[in-house]
Amino acid sequence: MHIEIQHAPAYAIAIAHLDAGESVVAEGGAMVSMDSHMKLNTSAGGEGDGVLGGLMKGLKRMVAGESFFQNRFVAEGAAGHITFAPTLQGDIAVHELSQSTLIIQSSSFLCSGTGIELDAKWGGARSFFGGEGLIMLKATGTGPVAFNSFGGIKEIQVDGDFVVDTGHIVAFEDSLQFNVTSFGSSGGFNLKSFFLGGEGLVCHFEGSGRLWMQTRNTQGFGKLIGRQLPPRKS
Amino acid sequence: MQHEIKAKPDFACLTLSMDRGDQVVCESGAMVGMTTGLELETNMKGGLGGALKRALGGESLFMNTYTASENGQRLDLAPATPGDIEHLVLRGNTVLVQSGSYMASSTGVEVDAKWAGARGFFGGEGLFMLRCGGDGDLWISSYGAIHSVDVQGSYIVDTGHIVAFQDSLTYNVKSIGGLKSLLFSSEGLVCEFSGSGRLWLQTRGSMSLVTFLHPFRSVQPQKHA
Repeated sequence: MHIEIQHAPAYAIAIAHLDAGESVVAEGGAMVSMDSHMKLNTSAGGEGDGVLGGLMKGLKRMVAGESFFQNRFVAEGAAGHITFAPTLQGDIAVHELSQSTLIIQSSSFLCSGTGIELDAKWGGARSFFGGEGLIMLKATGTGPVAFNSFGGIKEIQVDGDFVVDTGHIVAFEDSLQFNVTSFGSSGGFNLKSFFLGGEGLVCHFEGSGRLWMQTRNTQGFGKLIGRQLPPRKS
Repeated sequence: MQHEIKAKPDFACLTLSMDRGDQVVCESGAMVGMTTGLELETNMKGGLGGALKRALGGESLFMNTYTASENGQRLDLAPATPGDIEHLVLRGNTVLVQSGSYMASSTGVEVDAKWAGARGFFGGEGLFMLRCGGDGDLWISSYGAIHSVDVQGSYIVDTGHIVAFQDSLTYNVKSIGGLKSLLFSSEGLVCEFSGSGRLWLQTRGSMSLVTFLHPFRSVQPQKHA
């Protein structure tokens, strides 16, 4: 499978080109268009998972804020293509895994090849205080995985230490260790910065590996627009 | 009349260079800037019936016609949403445009509302489409970038992403996958196009933005009797 990106960076789409019989797993609702011989199969587990295995995988995904069911599109009988788009404005990056693991912020996952196992990863209890849901998907295996950002995507090669706001993390290689902390806590917890600095929680990365950040924060955008809209009933 | 589209695809803007007698019709509210040698006339194109049908199609009841009364005039037009503009040339062929994506056309282009069928396009859009035919220039706009596809045989598109298609294509609205997919895939309804012709898609859907923003609205306090 080859994933091509067009219309980057603000309104990027991913076009997955599949060989006959190949399939792609995608985020629910991401499909824009496709050849008519692409067949959709919605299930909780992957190929070869029993009913119970599928159920467990579905439940774990639900905990990670993903949907219980996963959409798998198969190119039946002939090669074909399928187009995916994220919900909001922003870019898409493709990373080729080779018996390796990538950790992806759950709302940034777009699509991946079937050689990749997707698993929910617990971000740690502290991450929930951020309200930014540092809930992640662990993508392991071999093949391409596409993930999207709100705004542009900036790739950083971390060697040593690097700090990222939790709302701006898109993905990172699992060779990096991470720890969610309140901002400024490395030099002792600073109460004033935590409550008034507007930075909330940050993720402290250590080690060597690649990291992808998004140049805008969905929560910040949602709060700005949301409070200017008329109240909802419930 | 010469035209140029700048700032594609994110914030596209159409600039027209017009000489005496040149005319362009556009949706109301599209004018960004203009020189003073242009005359504006607002009318219900296609009479009251046509205007009402257009209004049901999500378009404004009124269309604006700009006519150059002198040479060397300039008119800048932009759509309401962030996104792209595409220029289509009509030579006696017909294009169906999702209501809301029509932006402007030269006077040789006839714009009419067409009933899209009871099962229509439910992708947050109306049940009407605009049928644009004749000879001339047509400009369509989108939320997101415009992605064109040349269809040979059959092709499936999510209903919320359709901008326009040539009428040489026939279409059928349906759901994809089995019952489980219909209930749990979040893919909703799709449109299956058949035949040979070009179609234009938008790379984002405005309904997704609305759905994303909804939970951020404050909750109205409950009224107690």
